[in-house]
Amino acid sequence: MMKRTLPLLATLGWRNLWRHPKRTFVILFAITLGVWFMVISAGMMVGIIEQQVRDTIFNLTGHAQIHNPEYRDDPAIEHSMPPPTPAMLEILNSPKVKQWSSRVRLPAVVMSERESRGVTLVGIDPKHEQGLSLIGEPVVEGRALESIDDDGIVIGRRMAEKLETRVGKRIVVMSQNKNKEVADRGFRIVGLYRAELESTETAYVFTGRKTAQKLLGLNDDLSEIALITYSRDGLEPLVASLRQAAPTLETKSWKELEPLMVSALKVYDNFMIIWYLIIFGAMAFGLTNTMLMAIFERTREIGLFQALGMRPRYIVGQVLMETFILLLIGVALGNLTGWFTSDVIFADGIDLTEFARGMESFQMSSIMRFQLEARDLITINLMVIVLGLLASLYPALKAARYVPVEAITRT
Amino acid sequence: MGIVFHLAWRNLWRNRRRTWLTAGAIAFSTILLVLWVPIQFGAYEIMINASLAVFPGHAQIQRPGYQEKPKIRNAIDNAETLAKKLRASNQFVGVATRAQGFALLSSGTRSYGAQVVGVEPVFESGTSSIPGLVKKGRYLSGIDAQEMVIGAALARNLKIKIGDEVTLIGGGKDGSVAAAILPVVGIFESGSNELDRFFSEIPLHTFQNIFSMGHSAHAIAIVGKTVEEQDSLLTALRQETKDRNDIVILGWEQLVPGLKEGIQVDKVSGFIFYGILIAVVVFSILNTFLMSVLERTREFGLMLALGSRPKRIAMLMMLESTLLTLMGLIIGMTIGSALVYWVHIVGFAYPGMEDLAQQYNMPGLSRLYPQLDLFNFLIGPGSIFIATNIVAWIPVLRIRKLEPVEAMRTI
Amino acid sequence: MFPRITRTTMLTALTVFNLASIAPAQALDAAAIIKAAMDQWRGTSSHSTMSMTIHRPDWERTMVMEGWTAGDKKSLVRVLEPKKDAGNGTLLIGDNMWTFSPKVNRVIKIPSSMMNQSWMGSDFSNKDIARSADIIDQYHHSLLETQTADGHKVYVIQSVPKEDAPVVWGKEVLRIRDDYVLLEHTFFDQDMKPVKRMKTSKVGMMGGRMVALQERMAKIETKDEYTEFKMLSAKFDISVPGSTFTLSNLRNPRF
Repeated sequence: MMKRTLPLLATLGWRNLWRHPKRTFVILFAITLGVWFMVISAGMMVGIIEQQVRDTIFNLTGHAQIHNPEYRDDPAIEHSMPPPTPAMLEILNSPKVKQWSSRVRLPAVVMSERESRGVTLVGIDPKHEQGLSLIGEPVVEGRALESIDDDGIVIGRRMAEKLETRVGKRIVVMSQNKNKEVADRGFRIVGLYRAELESTETAYVFTGRKTAQKLLGLNDDLSEIALITYSRDGLEPLVASLRQAAPTLETKSWKELEPLMVSALKVYDNFMIIWYLIIFGAMAFGLTNTMLMAIFERTREIGLFQALGMRPRYIVGQVLMETFILLLIGVALGNLTGWFTSDVIFADGIDLTEFARGMESFQMSSIMRFQLEARDLITINLMVIVLGLLASLYPALKAARYVPVEAITRT
Repeated sequence: MGIVFHLAWRNLWRNRRRTWLTAGAIAFSTILLVLWVPIQFGAYEIMINASLAVFPGHAQIQRPGYQEKPKIRNAIDNAETLAKKLRASNQFVGVATRAQGFALLSSGTRSYGAQVVGVEPVFESGTSSIPGLVKKGRYLSGIDAQEMVIGAALARNLKIKIGDEVTLIGGGKDGSVAAAILPVVGIFESGSNELDRFFSEIPLHTFQNIFSMGHSAHAIAIVGKTVEEQDSLLTALRQETKDRNDIVILGWEQLVPGLKEGIQVDKVSGFIFYGILIAVVVFSILNTFLMSVLERTREFGLMLALGSRPKRIAMLMMLESTLLTLMGLIIGMTIGSALVYWVHIVGFAYPGMEDLAQQYNMPGLSRLYPQLDLFNFLIGPGSIFIATNIVAWIPVLRIRKLEPVEAMRTI
Repeated sequence: MFPRITRTTMLTALTVFNLASIAPAQALDAAAIIKAAMDQWRGTSSHSTMSMTIHRPDWERTMVMEGWTAGDKKSLVRVLEPKKDAGNGTLLIGDNMWTFSPKVNRVIKIPSSMMNQSWMGSDFSNKDIARSADIIDQYHHSLLETQTADGHKVYVIQSVPKEDAPVVWGKEVLRIRDDYVLLEHTFFDQDMKPVKRMKTSKVGMMGGRMVALQERMAKIETKDEYTEFKMLSAKFDISVPGSTFTLSNLRNPRF
């Protein structure tokens, strides 16, 4: 029976809506606005989180790394690893892996005429770092490293300030070679790189991998292999296959390498749910209120329906259907405006630099970008529709309980 | 005026349900806003506290220039006496003297450079969370005990366990060679990579002996009641130390540069979220108001027909909405502040935060305690009040254009 | 060890030779002057005592040290005074550096991460001390001019580090007397502004050689912060047993 009544209710609901277009517009506006807020705040939050995750992965972490098992605790030269075996290469060069690169990554001291600082010397294969880490990005000054035997050095912008040096000058890098003897040489600064965090810029100096291997007497040995895939989730099979291919080495996914980031993600997820509930709470009150009033106003009309023999169940159904149609239109409009705001108006992000003075040198990105995820949109839309229907249940039930005669006689 | 007021008040109670619904919407929104801001700002306090609690404290007394260039010779004379005086003033929650130096720590086969800090074991726990973060063994037992606690990663790198001896070699304050062999009694895990890898603590008098410091030390760390009371803390410190012109007082902004700016950036995005919440709330109330005006079109028509001047009706409307808003606000603020107070007492366990707190080894992180502040408390309700009063103009403008007969015909 | 304190001081030590085989007058080529000095140095041993004064505007400290050298690869220094530090020692073999402290009775190898730390609180870093003599090959040397002072010819030599030399300076300018006493050694940054200078203030005979008896290292900008060396006694071309430069001798002095 419901099958037949549903289209009827829909038609009734639809007509009802347009009998009072003014009221309908007011409610629609409320729903659209609420959904829009939820969409852009989700976009904002996801944007902030994504940026942090991307920064973490881009900060020489990648999606997974292979090391000597001792290396992560004590990144010393004696904890190097041999170059990848054919079995490992087969996996690394498979289509599952988007980009991979081998690195020398060891503690060192850099010195200029005036300052010296502890850093990590990273020997890289510049071509393979593209899309894998921050050093694959264009430099902000000078030139990027060009090959594995490039003997120039690229340091952080703020590192250059700390060392009171600049592009074109020489600095000395000192470390320990395989025989535990001092290994040092001069390097000309060919370029400066930029990173979001000052701590990143002062942590790493980069040179060609072969140059670093030669300086440290490593031959072909490496400190780590980092790789990136097409998705940062579902890395387990890949990691497992690498573990199998290199049983004496340690393969870890970024989630194991950066547990703090993973727990921060969990906190953010929970925050978003709470946030939706709060926004919806504020919105629901308005929605319930409006529906209630709309119904009280129509008391007479509903009484008439009842007097004409409409059963309470259908009255509830009709009110719910009316709400449902309203919600659908509101949700659609909300998503549309939300998308328009985040992907068209603020496609380049919001520059927060104006708000927080001098924050360029600090912990967060100064540009806030929106990012809409299907998962969040579905959550928002389902939540609004389900809770919206629940919110209109009260006025609907209320309406169904009117005694016809009393209702008709009311003004 | 009295009559209008009377009329407005009576009008409100003529339609009890509508009044309660609208007032309820305002009250609910007020509760949301009143609760949200203190909890959000409470979170900043947690962020600040979390980074200050580990080691820096809320403020430090140092010699001028020590913060920029921590040279061992730049030490405060009779530092313990000064600390004792500060403690005796009973104005500070934690006061602890520290002597700091850089030394080579060796376990025989392995040697690493590390920060060595001489602390007053009894008082250090008042200014730093490290004593509580000892995961293996115990913390330092006495101010002249011959023992040492070190970071977990440093312990792993030195390949030592509880009870093993560490040789310490550095330069003393008088230029002499500072050397000692100390057994490791505790290993701490702070979650901070830097501390865990490069940090060790020994008792203050032991430090002063080894490094020929006499009765001098490098810093007195101070913790006040809350981070927010920084100004009064600094004033009190200045008052207490006015007879010493050989020292400087540094607030946490100077001790941990970047922290304040990081929070500022976070506050900006926090305010955006808050703005969104206010907007949703205001629009939701606007909706309710608008609905009630639509509903009362007939009533206005009747009043106009009976000879009321539009101006009078407008005034009546304004008064009604002001009364209604105030009612809602008072209810909301009463319940809201009761809730804030309750959360302030028991804390608010943020879902997922426990994990993060555990990773950081910061028990203080797992619960949020809202921050009580009059401005933060009033900003939400204030926005609602202003917004509803603006919204109340809409019906007023409508009334002017209303044709009595037509208005009376609308349902 | 004295000559090994720094490359600078090492060059100073070159002055101990009366480089009879090379008449300075003929050695007009800068590289040849330095090379010749080096060649002489490689076959020599020494035993000396000296004092080191570290001076700051509000503070001063003097240490007396005893040192042995054999060739340009090995040296051993031991502190004699003050009493508090007596017995502390540093052993250098090639680029490797060990330290010994009687307080803890342990020998510890200095890791490379500590090489930029100050040596015994002086204005020299461990790296300055551990500088290998081979470093000389890592410069392009050129003779800027020949001056005359106190009846001696003085060669002004400019040394510019090669591209990959582990030297941070833009250039170094040395003033060497014709009897190979280093009078002055100035370090320039890469904008060619002088940063620090080692200056010999007294030259005299000791152990049968003409040597720099007193020299001072100071930054150009802070002249009242310096480290000053004074040669107290010196013997040259003596026989120093190979076992002098061993870890066990660093720990249990036999010489």
